[in-house]
Amino acid sequence: MSVNGSDDPPISIAIVDDEDSVRTGLRRLCVALGLHATVYASGSQFIEALKTGAARPDCLLLDAHMPQMSGLEVQRHLVMLGVRIPSIVYTADDAPEAKARYFAAGVAAYLCKPIAGDDLIAVIERVMTRPHPSPVDQRPTDAPSRRL
Amino acid sequence: MVLHAVARFGESWRRSNRSTSTISQRGAGPEADAGTFPLAPGLLLFVPVSLLGNLIGLVLRYPDIGSAVLFPPYAALTAALVVSPRRHWVWYILVGSATHFAMSLAHWSVSWVLVADVANVTRAVVAAVLLRRVFAGPPRLDDLRVLTGLVVSAAFIAPAVGATIGAANAVLHVGPTSYGRMWSAWFLSNSLTSLTILPAFLLGLANHARWRWPPMGRRRAAEALALVGALAATTAWAFVIPAAGFGPLTLHFYAPLPVLILTALRFGSGGASLALTAVTFAAILGADRGVGPFLEYEPDSNVLALQVFVVLTALPVLCIAAISTSRQRTVQLYHALLASAQDHIAILDRDGVVVEANDSWRRFVQRPDVLRLRKVDIGDNFVTAARIAATDGHDDAARVFAGVTSVLDGEQKRVEIEFDYYGGGAHERYALYIEPLARADGGAIVRRSDVTARHMARVEIEEQRRQLSHLARVSMLGQLSGALAHELNQPLAAIASNADAAHRLLARAPVDVVELEAIVTDIVAANHRAAQVIRRLRAMLNRGETRLQPLDTAELVEEVLDLAHAELITRRVTATAVVAPNLPHVLGDRVQLQQVLLNLVLNACEAMTSCIPPDRRLSLTATADAGGNIRFSVRDCGTGIPPTLIDRLFEPFVTTKPEGLGLGLSISRTIVAAHGGRLWAQNNTDRGATVHCLLPGAAVAQEQTTALGNGSAHRSPVAHV
Repeated sequence: MSVNGSDDPPISIAIVDDEDSVRTGLRRLCVALGLHATVYASGSQFIEALKTGAARPDCLLLDAHMPQMSGLEVQRHLVMLGVRIPSIVYTADDAPEAKARYFAAGVAAYLCKPIAGDDLIAVIERVMTRPHPSPVDQRPTDAPSRRL
Repeated sequence: MVLHAVARFGESWRRSNRSTSTISQRGAGPEADAGTFPLAPGLLLFVPVSLLGNLIGLVLRYPDIGSAVLFPPYAALTAALVVSPRRHWVWYILVGSATHFAMSLAHWSVSWVLVADVANVTRAVVAAVLLRRVFAGPPRLDDLRVLTGLVVSAAFIAPAVGATIGAANAVLHVGPTSYGRMWSAWFLSNSLTSLTILPAFLLGLANHARWRWPPMGRRRAAEALALVGALAATTAWAFVIPAAGFGPLTLHFYAPLPVLILTALRFGSGGASLALTAVTFAAILGADRGVGPFLEYEPDSNVLALQVFVVLTALPVLCIAAISTSRQRTVQLYHALLASAQDHIAILDRDGVVVEANDSWRRFVQRPDVLRLRKVDIGDNFVTAARIAATDGHDDAARVFAGVTSVLDGEQKRVEIEFDYYGGGAHERYALYIEPLARADGGAIVRRSDVTARHMARVEIEEQRRQLSHLARVSMLGQLSGALAHELNQPLAAIASNADAAHRLLARAPVDVVELEAIVTDIVAANHRAAQVIRRLRAMLNRGETRLQPLDTAELVEEVLDLAHAELITRRVTATAVVAPNLPHVLGDRVQLQQVLLNLVLNACEAMTSCIPPDRRLSLTATADAGGNIRFSVRDCGTGIPPTLIDRLFEPFVTTKPEGLGLGLSISRTIVAAHGGRLWAQNNTDRGATVHCLLPGAAVAQEQTTALGNGSAHRSPVAHV
């Protein structure tokens, strides 16, 4: 699979964000970048779709700041389910501790809002071509990753 | 020497007055010995008066039965007993009896004099005991109650007792048939004495402390002299100068009456008593010399007529004197009270004319002023002045006019109007209180009070409260800075993604116009949302004036949860808004009420930090009570409020948070109180606590109110776009 390859089917991206306007904006950006995008309004919706097989994304774009199930919880849930989809978390919070928590939970990349299209495509390319990193620990943990 | 002793007695009388009042405060009541007149000067005064009195009694006798027409020793002994300590009574009784014996034995047998003396002493003691109860202090005749007491005890009961004993002489020496005649002669002579000479003696002894020479001003002395002259002239005409040519109906003996009444009005009971004594002596003297009106019938009947005449004259004159004294005293107190008041006080009649005003009022009306209504002096019409000033466009005057009219018309019981005064370079604030005058003729009392200091303090407090609540608001927004940044970041992120996508779409051919239009629409919407976040922030950060206005209750709840939205997500708190349908508007300052409710919401979040996220549930409820008040309740599922803190939670510096200052709730309560509302907390029966905020609903008609229902306070997530 390649990002811009015309022969291959486009990369499928799942976007999970509780905020309608942000979600729609990201979907449009992904489509404009030549990706295939599916949107979910909450982590539980996405996980449900995964379980039923309705969702088979190549990559996940995950909002960190969501009610009920936060981005971190969604990520931990995916790890518990053994789902190996590279996830890119985005947030307005660029505090190093938060970033460390997400990497410890096994996210592939961490983006700060607002997200530029070029940055997004670069990160997607990077996480897709690189072997997907495994979480430090299978159990949810708040300890910073040793690999950082 | 006697006068000197009497002056010394003045001191002791004043002291005794103080001690008497102390005693009566202790509840000793009338049993306390009120008399303090010292014995030596008392006897020095008593002996000559008693001797002279006996002499007069002997000279002025009923021709046949030998009873006196007027008996001054009764007045002398009674007055002496009233003002002396009880232990001295025996001396006055002994001395009084001795003089009586000395003067009478030449004319009557020992047994006659003995019976008469027993009657005299018993009568005086009865009168003295009763009078002390009546006066309950120094003798006075300045109101009707005391005068009635004097008449009943000294002019009726005591003379009756004395006459019953004294008339025994009729049985012993004349014959049983004359008992009735002698009884009435004794009774009337002593009754007469107690209404003429006795008041003069009592008041003379009571007022001796004020004996100074001259005891009155020149004008008053001249007035007294004129009255003495008029009394002498009328009395002489009535009783002393032979009235040849008058028929049996000789009414000119009423000539002294106007002078007596005038004396009573101008000089009170003391003056009236002296004048009555003078008239009585003149009438007796005239009759004795064979002139005057009381010579028409039998000698006994003439004396009886004279006595009845004097008694019937004395009673109304003494009444007038007592009422006049009492009235003068009331007027003096009233003027003293008015003069001592710093407030400016004016009394209006039913038409609004100033009939009375105190010095403060009259001084104030002399000051320069732009408003005419404050220049109203005695005789001017307050209502008219207010109306004219109101017509000239002065709002304060218009309010005063409306207020005073409504009070004079009986529509309002009390009106209070505050207004600013600019005059002579001063800026002061006054409160005008208008209250109806409680009397049949109507009218009103207008009181103007300088409340500048109070007003300045109020303004100062209001300003400090505003600054403090602003500080609290800013500090609260500081706590929320992360959440607010997120709130602003969301629309910015949406704009960025959309714009980027549009940019890329434009590079393609053909351009997807439909998609581009959708993108632009979303960008505009996101931009609006960002602007709204900034607008709300600015309002919260602003230190604006308090602006009370009717606020949509549901909108208020929504705004508060919007402000807290990002923070609630960060703290993993699920908030629910429950707003009853068709709630009335709440009257208040939008930003301040948002601040109060936001503070309650954040406190509730704080209280649930130790709970697991699914348990962090918060509800913001708005309901209305029967009185049209709106109740906001913020309920959490936290640990609850410690019982020791629940009553002090709204005091400054009381907090349950380790890093809290403890000002938030105290400031919230101040804000709510300034809105006329109430803030209180209670622990829930199951878990957590609820803080209630009761605010008066705006009196506006109910408008359609959006019920948020039981849905989530967060923007509802939309599945699969």
